[in-house]
Amino acid sequence: MQTAAVRIPGRIENILSWKEQGGGIAAVFPIHYPRELLRAFGYLPVEVWGPPVVESVSSAAHVQPYVCSIVRNGLSFLQSGGLELADILLVPHACDSLQGLGSLLLDFIHPRQPTLTLYLPRGRRESDLSFLAQELHALYRRLAEIHGDSPTEPELMSSIRREEAADASLAQLHRQRSRLPLSDLAFYQLIRSREYLPAERFSQLASEALDQAGPITERGIPLLLSGIVPEPMALLNLIPELGGWVAADDLASCGRRLYPAGTSQDPFLRMAERIIHAPPDPTRGSSIESRHQHLLSLAAESGARGVVFHDVKFCEPELFDLPDLRRQLAESGLPSLLLEVDLNDPLSHQLHTRLQAFLEMIV
Amino acid sequence: MNIGKELNYQWQVNVLGRSALRLNRILMARKAGKGQLGKSRLLTPPLNTSIWTKELIGQHYLRGRYANSHGKVAWVTSGAPIEFLKALDFYLLYPENHGALCGAARAAEGLSIEAEKAGYSRDICSYARTDIGAMLSGKTPVGRLPKPDLLLACTNICQTVLHWYRVLAHHFQVPLILIDTPFIYTEMTDHAVAFVKAQLEEAIIVAEKVAGKPLDPRRFKEVTRLSMLASELWLELLRRNRHRPAPISVFDQFTQMAPIVEMRGEASTVDLYAAMLKEVDQRIEQGIGVVPEERLRLLWDNLPVWYRLRYLAEFLGAHGAVIVASTYTNAWAELGPQMDPEHPMESMARTYMYPILNRGTGEKLATMRQMIQDYHLDGAILHSDRSCKPYSVGQMDQRDRLMRQDDLPALLLEADHNDPRSYSEEQVANRLTAFMEMLEAA
Repeated sequence: MQTAAVRIPGRIENILSWKEQGGGIAAVFPIHYPRELLRAFGYLPVEVWGPPVVESVSSAAHVQPYVCSIVRNGLSFLQSGGLELADILLVPHACDSLQGLGSLLLDFIHPRQPTLTLYLPRGRRESDLSFLAQELHALYRRLAEIHGDSPTEPELMSSIRREEAADASLAQLHRQRSRLPLSDLAFYQLIRSREYLPAERFSQLASEALDQAGPITERGIPLLLSGIVPEPMALLNLIPELGGWVAADDLASCGRRLYPAGTSQDPFLRMAERIIHAPPDPTRGSSIESRHQHLLSLAAESGARGVVFHDVKFCEPELFDLPDLRRQLAESGLPSLLLEVDLNDPLSHQLHTRLQAFLEMIV
Repeated sequence: MNIGKELNYQWQVNVLGRSALRLNRILMARKAGKGQLGKSRLLTPPLNTSIWTKELIGQHYLRGRYANSHGKVAWVTSGAPIEFLKALDFYLLYPENHGALCGAARAAEGLSIEAEKAGYSRDICSYARTDIGAMLSGKTPVGRLPKPDLLLACTNICQTVLHWYRVLAHHFQVPLILIDTPFIYTEMTDHAVAFVKAQLEEAIIVAEKVAGKPLDPRRFKEVTRLSMLASELWLELLRRNRHRPAPISVFDQFTQMAPIVEMRGEASTVDLYAAMLKEVDQRIEQGIGVVPEERLRLLWDNLPVWYRLRYLAEFLGAHGAVIVASTYTNAWAELGPQMDPEHPMESMARTYMYPILNRGTGEKLATMRQMIQDYHLDGAILHSDRSCKPYSVGQMDQRDRLMRQDDLPALLLEADHNDPRSYSEEQVANRLTAFMEMLEAA
């Protein structure tokens, strides 16, 4: 399989270039947040999903070992100076552990940068939409206090449209993946560059990649990858090595963040609509049935023959749904495999064997 | 209404069951009179009113056993705004309390294993595993749990309940009401209060539909008033531990708190706590403390270790140490002053956003500090509970601040509130021994 023919700038290179242009950096913890709001204030969001393989000793002074490695590593990374280039920190509420992280930063750790939080409602009701719009307005006011200036409504709308365009390109990449001359690893390196590239730069890269789309090519046993984040990324080399390929995903860092365009002309409502109407996600309170239907639909569209749940250890939002979800998928003729990982651990031989056996079973 | 089923309910619950529970109460009272109740050479006997608590809890679960034939049933989270459900005559089951009961009865491990066999990870909350295990196997120490017609989950204690109740909704195929209470990192915002109020209004519509009748505003106010009274009495009861020697240990509070959690809004709960307060006052007058000679007064943070309550009480009692205050039992005492029966909807939104677990880690430290001052404490034990992340995350910094800034010895004790497989008695004993030595030397 070919690898990306597009050059993806690295995180540091991108951050330094942004700062040279006078922009600020917002280090953002998982999962959902309004990129457009940060950008409207001149902050480039750079996401902190772990990162993997970090010396986690420093976070051990603040959080217990039964907290997931995304939180432990993120905190260690911050404390070891990994986020020194960031001007602000944003910790959206996704689960009890990330809630704890936000609270710890505010109450005890007091990082150099201002820490902002954002509560995301757990439903899709009118009241959820209205609350989220107001919560985003509160975040806007807080950013204005820090920044000393605030974007006008037209500037906000322009920022929203720029992100909507980038998200449309991202969705297009997901849909066209079987036509792209990209390995699994290259594909995920490309779409995960959305975690740190400016929207316009990402849209440009996506367009370059989409220009290379050709006919659908057979590349192995199609799989649907579900979970939080595809780390360690070595997994994306292992899957093709064992004869599979990732045909679609339901990952919190990727497929669950295919935000649709909003419809409201009120910028805050529009940003809220985009998050509320994103694909099902347990951290936003989606029902097991809605997740089941979503996975079935992804499998039908992509031809996936099985689902690999690739979850980070101690992740309650993921773990609660799995027994019912897997049983229902099996009843719908879609077998599944559960792999649990810690971001600091390499892929184990046991994981290798289990994945191999699963692929042999569904071939 | 099915007359035959209703007659059976009345016979089983109000005639047979009630008589059996009353007889048991008389026998226990007789035992208490002879000094044979909860006999311990290290601890003073439990309160006589604890027999009444036991009877009330027995009645509650007995009603639950036959509740499906009598009326509508709702399963609710421990911090949920239940007053409107109570006013609509729902029988309320609290899976967390049932989980705790299973833990204290040493049944939690077996039930957790049932859940784990069905694919639930050992890394999820042990209350949830216990109850899911009971749901899947039909096993429970209380005989039988009623099936829900409605579920009510409120996120003011954790996000775990959101996922847990999605599982329940999926299993029972009944409506799930979600009351999402935005976490208060720094301040309770007006838009968050409005959001919770809007959800309560939506919730009432759903509950009325399931109940098949409208909510009576007068009854709603009355239930809210009873909730407030019970919570205020509970607060007074806890405050009595400001006296030396402390009349009621937190280990006793853990068992006496069941009615304030699962029978809020009932007149019998108000009567019970009024009587309990009276008995506690008598103990104060007579100078009766939890241990014969109180030497050390401690704070407990987080949930109890349900399956080792007595062991821990006696272990500490042997050193003259008494746990006199707890952030956990205090959580239900904090609700009362927030409630306003004349404006139940408005006050409900604020009240149920206020629990300690819905506020920041710094707020919990402030609560602990206030308790240290009010209760004249010598040290703190912070139970690092593997099953409860929202309670446990923050404890390492809280402990650090207590030790460094308040000069208060504080111990982090690793365990799990319901799963004994995550508890090591030897390690706990070693750590507690060292902690006691340090406190005694101070």
